[in-house]
Amino acid sequence: MSGLTYSQIDQTVLDTLRPASLRYWAVIVLMFFGILLGAGCWAYQIGVGIGVGGQSIPVAWGTYLINFVFWVGIAHSGTLISAILHLFRAAWRNPIARAAETMTVFAVCVAGLFPFIHLGRIWIVYYILPYPNDRNLWPNFQSPLVFDVIAISTYLMVSSLFWYTGMLPDLAIVRDRATGLRKRIFHILSLGWTGRFEEWRHYTRAYLFFAALATPLVISVHSVVSWDFALGIVPGWHSTIFAPYFVAGAIHSGLAMVLTLMIPMRTIFRYEVFITKDILDNIAKTIVFTGLIVGYAYAIEYFLAWYSHNIVEQESFRWRAAGEYSLAFWVMVICNSVVPLLFFIRKVRRSIPWLFGISILINIGMWSERFVIIIGGVAHDFMPNAWGTYSPTIIEYGVLVGSFCLFFFLFLLFVKHMPSVSMTEMKESVHKGVGHAL
Amino acid sequence: MLSEKQVIGLFKDENLAASAIESMAGCPWQLRGVNSPFPSERIMKAMKAGKSRVGHFTLAGGIIGFLSGVSLAAYTSLQWSLIVSGKPVVALIPYLIVGFEFTILFAVFGNIVGLITQTRLPEYRSVSTYDPRCSGEYFGVLASCAEGNQDALLAFFKEKGGEARFL
Amino acid sequence: MVDLSRRHFIKILGLGSLAFAPGCDSRPEKNLFSYVQAPEDMVTGKATWYASTCRECPAGCGLLAKNKEGRVIKVEGNPLHPVNLGKLCMRGQAAVQGVYHPDRIRRPLLKQKDGWKALSFEEAETLLRSKIDEAVRKAENRVHLITEAVGQTLSNLFDEALKNWKSRPPHIFEPFAYEALKTANQKVFGVDGLASYKMEEADFLLSFGADFLETWLSPVEYGRKFKQSHAVHGRQKGFFAHVSPYQSLTGANADLWLSCNPDTEIVIGLGLLRGALQSGNRKSLPSDLTEALQDISSPFTKEKVVELSGVDPDLFARLIARLLKAAKPLVLGTGTGASGANNLRVNMAANLLNALLDPGLTLLDFAHRHSVEKAAKRSEAIALFEKLGHSPEGVLLLNNVNPVFSIPSSDAVAKVFKQDTLFTVSFANFMDETAQLANLIFPVSLPLETWDEYSGTTGIVSAVQPAMAGLTGSPRLGDLFLRLAHGGPAKNFQEYLSLRLSASGLLKDRMDWVHMLQEGGLFRNIPSEAPALQWISAEEVRSAFRRLSFPKPADFTFVAAPSLRFFDGRGANRPWLCEVPDPLTKVAWQSPVSIHPKTLREQGLKQGDVVELKSSWGTLEAPVYETQDTLPGVLVLSLGQGHELFGRYAEGMGVNPAKLLPPETEPLTGSPQFSTKLASLRATGRSIALAHTDGSRVQHGRKIAVSVDLAELGKEKKEKKGLGMWDFPLVLPLPEGYDKKRDVYPPHDHNTYRWAMVVDLDRCTGCNACAAACYAENNIGIVGPDRIREGREMAWLSIERYLDEETMKKVTFLPMLCQHCDNAPCESVCPVYAPHHSKEGLNNQIYNRCIGTRFCSQNCPYKVRRFNWFDWKWPKPLNLQLNPDVTVRSKGVMEKCSFCVQRIKEAHGRAKDEKRDIRDGEIQPACVQTCPTGALVFGNLMDPNSRARKKVDDARAYQVLGYLNTKPAVFYLKKVVQEI
Repeated sequence: MSGLTYSQIDQTVLDTLRPASLRYWAVIVLMFFGILLGAGCWAYQIGVGIGVGGQSIPVAWGTYLINFVFWVGIAHSGTLISAILHLFRAAWRNPIARAAETMTVFAVCVAGLFPFIHLGRIWIVYYILPYPNDRNLWPNFQSPLVFDVIAISTYLMVSSLFWYTGMLPDLAIVRDRATGLRKRIFHILSLGWTGRFEEWRHYTRAYLFFAALATPLVISVHSVVSWDFALGIVPGWHSTIFAPYFVAGAIHSGLAMVLTLMIPMRTIFRYEVFITKDILDNIAKTIVFTGLIVGYAYAIEYFLAWYSHNIVEQESFRWRAAGEYSLAFWVMVICNSVVPLLFFIRKVRRSIPWLFGISILINIGMWSERFVIIIGGVAHDFMPNAWGTYSPTIIEYGVLVGSFCLFFFLFLLFVKHMPSVSMTEMKESVHKGVGHAL
Repeated sequence: MLSEKQVIGLFKDENLAASAIESMAGCPWQLRGVNSPFPSERIMKAMKAGKSRVGHFTLAGGIIGFLSGVSLAAYTSLQWSLIVSGKPVVALIPYLIVGFEFTILFAVFGNIVGLITQTRLPEYRSVSTYDPRCSGEYFGVLASCAEGNQDALLAFFKEKGGEARFL
Repeated sequence: MVDLSRRHFIKILGLGSLAFAPGCDSRPEKNLFSYVQAPEDMVTGKATWYASTCRECPAGCGLLAKNKEGRVIKVEGNPLHPVNLGKLCMRGQAAVQGVYHPDRIRRPLLKQKDGWKALSFEEAETLLRSKIDEAVRKAENRVHLITEAVGQTLSNLFDEALKNWKSRPPHIFEPFAYEALKTANQKVFGVDGLASYKMEEADFLLSFGADFLETWLSPVEYGRKFKQSHAVHGRQKGFFAHVSPYQSLTGANADLWLSCNPDTEIVIGLGLLRGALQSGNRKSLPSDLTEALQDISSPFTKEKVVELSGVDPDLFARLIARLLKAAKPLVLGTGTGASGANNLRVNMAANLLNALLDPGLTLLDFAHRHSVEKAAKRSEAIALFEKLGHSPEGVLLLNNVNPVFSIPSSDAVAKVFKQDTLFTVSFANFMDETAQLANLIFPVSLPLETWDEYSGTTGIVSAVQPAMAGLTGSPRLGDLFLRLAHGGPAKNFQEYLSLRLSASGLLKDRMDWVHMLQEGGLFRNIPSEAPALQWISAEEVRSAFRRLSFPKPADFTFVAAPSLRFFDGRGANRPWLCEVPDPLTKVAWQSPVSIHPKTLREQGLKQGDVVELKSSWGTLEAPVYETQDTLPGVLVLSLGQGHELFGRYAEGMGVNPAKLLPPETEPLTGSPQFSTKLASLRATGRSIALAHTDGSRVQHGRKIAVSVDLAELGKEKKEKKGLGMWDFPLVLPLPEGYDKKRDVYPPHDHNTYRWAMVVDLDRCTGCNACAAACYAENNIGIVGPDRIREGREMAWLSIERYLDEETMKKVTFLPMLCQHCDNAPCESVCPVYAPHHSKEGLNNQIYNRCIGTRFCSQNCPYKVRRFNWFDWKWPKPLNLQLNPDVTVRSKGVMEKCSFCVQRIKEAHGRAKDEKRDIRDGEIQPACVQTCPTGALVFGNLMDPNSRARKKVDDARAYQVLGYLNTKPAVFYLKKVVQEI
């Protein structure tokens, strides 16, 4: 990295903001139609009833909540990379922080949609908010779902503010290099930032607090999500390891998604100079770590089931590995905790195809983990007479596709129109190896 | 009263800029400001700047957040005193979670308020009086001097190893 | 004497007699008008109850019809009625759906080349009269009437009319006419009738297939009487053994199901006779008769019996021993759907066994005989149809019979309706297989809309009075016949009825009439003595049992079993009866064929495969249901479904097994044959998903449906309390149920009442009456087979069926409903307080508040919550049945059992008006109200003297999955099992 001059850094990043090719816009349009598809499915569901999905009694939660947890998970590593590594002054964060934060913000947006899609009566969703009303009715602050509402909305606000604040100096750079309308837009966006030393003095401080607050938030948000299950009494849900287990899983999936996004980006935008193999290597190492935690969680759940002498727990976990959904279970185990072990091999960590392939596998694995937990728990719980199975319907798949399209739609628009690597922090890295720090 | 002239010196290297700032003391011209592409300890030292006060806002926000979170939960549940799952109407353990999230949220709001009030952003006027290169690779040192001294100031910056121009 | 709870007293007070009241209109009004002078029995928002008689089957239970704003919205049993003492079966509950059925025929229809032409009732009546006159003018015996079993009064009127028309008396057609049983009584006792049985007094009950919990004679009555003797009292419990090739619900309730090869019950009967004689029970009968019995039974040694019938020798030996040990044994004959060459002999053997073991036949009551005995034999029906086929002249009147459906394989029946020289008139309310072949369909008002009298047994008079004005404006059958052919003074059938009753001295004055209508009939001091018995002669015994023939065991014996839900098929168009699953298979809407796993393996079949069943008389395709309720090689398919016509809920649902049955009747008894050999059983290669509501059939060793051995009863030592599934103590949903060692949170108080229910598994027979009553009371949506397949049935109360894990035969039924836990897991997870704990311990569900997160259901360990996945439909006028006291839930809302909170509220209002507390037993949720065996008890746990509270102290009491410490308010009493 040290070989770079400040102007090279600016140039590489600003080059990505050049007018986009037709191919780019074609993809954007495609994504847009994907969004319409998802929206159409949702509209149909609202009109006809939630029954157009596959949920039933006992499995009253389906892919909607799977997707919710999945996207929230994705949303985690962004802020994590940015905040924790900032606190640790880990320089390798700087080139990927911006894209990761962007991923976070958009993933939370997508995730936040799913509880709405899931609701039986979306038209009165505001009942869940603590708004003053003449009947003096309020939400139940003991409900994990209310924790969720608070945690997710907090997370959305904090991570978007963090993201924007971090972007401020770069917006100024774009402003100073741009002309015409774009100049005017960035003039406003950059709030008149000129890099005066007073600005830097408070800015660096504020940014530090941001990081300090975001870090516990990241941990808490996915813990809260895990309590949507752990606070239930369902066998396979009612477990104290859920919070750390889910947080680790979230970071696991988040890092995988970072790889999935970064690897194409660095080639398309010629970011190899910034996002070097060493950085990918570091990410891969972290994935090994989270993968081991997740694998440990899988194992310990079985140990607890056996150790508890609780026949309901035991049957539930036996069935998990051998029942109707055993496929999902084994996909989960292999993709999340076995495949990542390949990253112990240096060659694999530094080979782009391997990194990319494994990151995809982990994404799949993490989706099936949520499937196994959310569907598997209730499908086979206390009353054998009530046991049943669940399979998603075409409508649910439509919504799933729509959600991915929405995410990539937003992400692609961003990287082409905003600085997707923090030039300021790159300069700092070149200068002395850390970002936004004094 | 003689009108003031403003001169900006642009340095590629933060140390040169810093030394320029330091040696400006005791000269007939005043330092008006420094613009840098990224925060620079060296310059901060040269400016002898104190600690930022943003933290106080953050702390205040956090405290307000926690209190309002817990009290909101407690107050609302007391409106109808409905018993759920045999738990007490005001069940503290779950409310701690609410309190925590509110703490973070309000602390961040405080942080933002602090940042805005301290840095006085958004403020678009100063953009005109600064050299865009300062967001690129230059450290700009802005100084002003009385009518007649400007050439000396120019010379000073050049001698310190930077470029200089009138504004 | 029945205990007359306050609630019923109120009802009976409310029974304003329609004799004076103008009655009420059922047409929904656009505007609301208040009466200037309201009829005495019509107060808006207040229910009026009319006592009448259930006509869904010939048993004739008494019912109370709940009328609100002019519409009957629910029927319940009449507690004063001796037949059912206030209880109803699911078919009775569904009677209202007949009245409001969307496919009910509203106008007379005349068949013409280009389809049906609607007539006015006047036109139809004129046409009918002219046709009859024409027929009468031509010659004698030109008017034929085939009717279901009707009351004495209507039957008198029929006779009178037909006499006027110079024709033979009416033919009473009932698909289930108990020919074999009747003939046996005739032969053995010289009584050509159907005695009723004092089951409640028997300490040992042996049935050769009599399915008295499903359709046999009077299921509600016998369900009750059975449990009176069979439910555990202290350490005592009657014993019930069921001998048959397939289990049936009745067999599932037996302590011993002795499975024998088809049509070999007789050898067991004779084996038992032999045993009885050897034990020296001979005094009760004349010696020559005993000798005859000796002769006929002597060949049937234990070895012989075992060889022929394939029963377990050990069990058979113990059965004899037990039978002889019994103080008051009662032996029942074969079931409603029994048939086979030896059918008559089995029933005779049963009678003779009773004669031997119960000198004086104290348990057979010939003074109160079942009126269905009046029904003609199937052979006579076939004969009539053949006669009509040969000389198809005149007019054929059909009253509520569907022979084309019941006897599909007979050409004779089909032929009759093809003749256009015979003018066929069907007084049907639904377009069924027979009606569609008639020339004129003349709908008449249904029993809930009409005046009549029907007595299920001799020795009572059971009134039928209109509980609402006719929905369709159809005339009453009685009035119609009066107008057509009555010379007498009566202006209408109601008057005809009162005149007849006064004439027969049953009514002294007007007040008697009013009392009759208020109480639902005349149940006291009605002369009815038993006919003198004429005992069978030794000769007849010898001849009857000479040359026993046994069908050589066929590969596949096919049995068409009468259905608990549809009876002979007349219930198949009632959505509730289709939606509530069969108690044994748990399959709704469809009629699968039950096959033993061994047979399935041999045929390479599995559950859900569609098989083609072929007999000499027909072919049908049905999905397979794998079960051990039947012997290998015995295929059982329940009767009642498979209608080609009969309204939207019946058409295309299931199959009609009668299509495989021979039209010929059995020579000895003239009874139809409900079983036959199969020519072939073939897989079609197709396979369908069965709409069943059960997940696993066994309980995986969990504390769910618990049973205790009679020997162990009371001996359970107080095992030390722990936190495990089996050693967790029973905890009351009251402050005393809390313990620092188990509970994190402190207890909470309730306000005077803490509602709870006790379910006695030893009394539950799995008849599902409660489930149907719940559908009726709580406006529960009907979802249909596809939704049920998706696991979206809406039943608030369902009877879970658990099989014993070793044998997969022994069944325990577990009524499962919301447990109204004190620490309900569903409550705290809801973000909007839709479910929460009420001051009286109820687990409220506030529909308006529910946003549909479905977390409550996820977190409910009992999975009793139901979600409205769609808006369910009540096609007009079915919506008129909806209970105005209960919200109709819209899509996206969670719902569940509310303990019938609307009834609790009503009781609160009443108690408040009278400035008192609610009395124990004053509140009866719909399920509790109708349970024929009294397995459900509802009450206030905070009242130390309430029945519910007392039962909780029973040693058998436990809570399902109590170890979860949710403190359920529904307690279960263990089922008491016993080995023979």
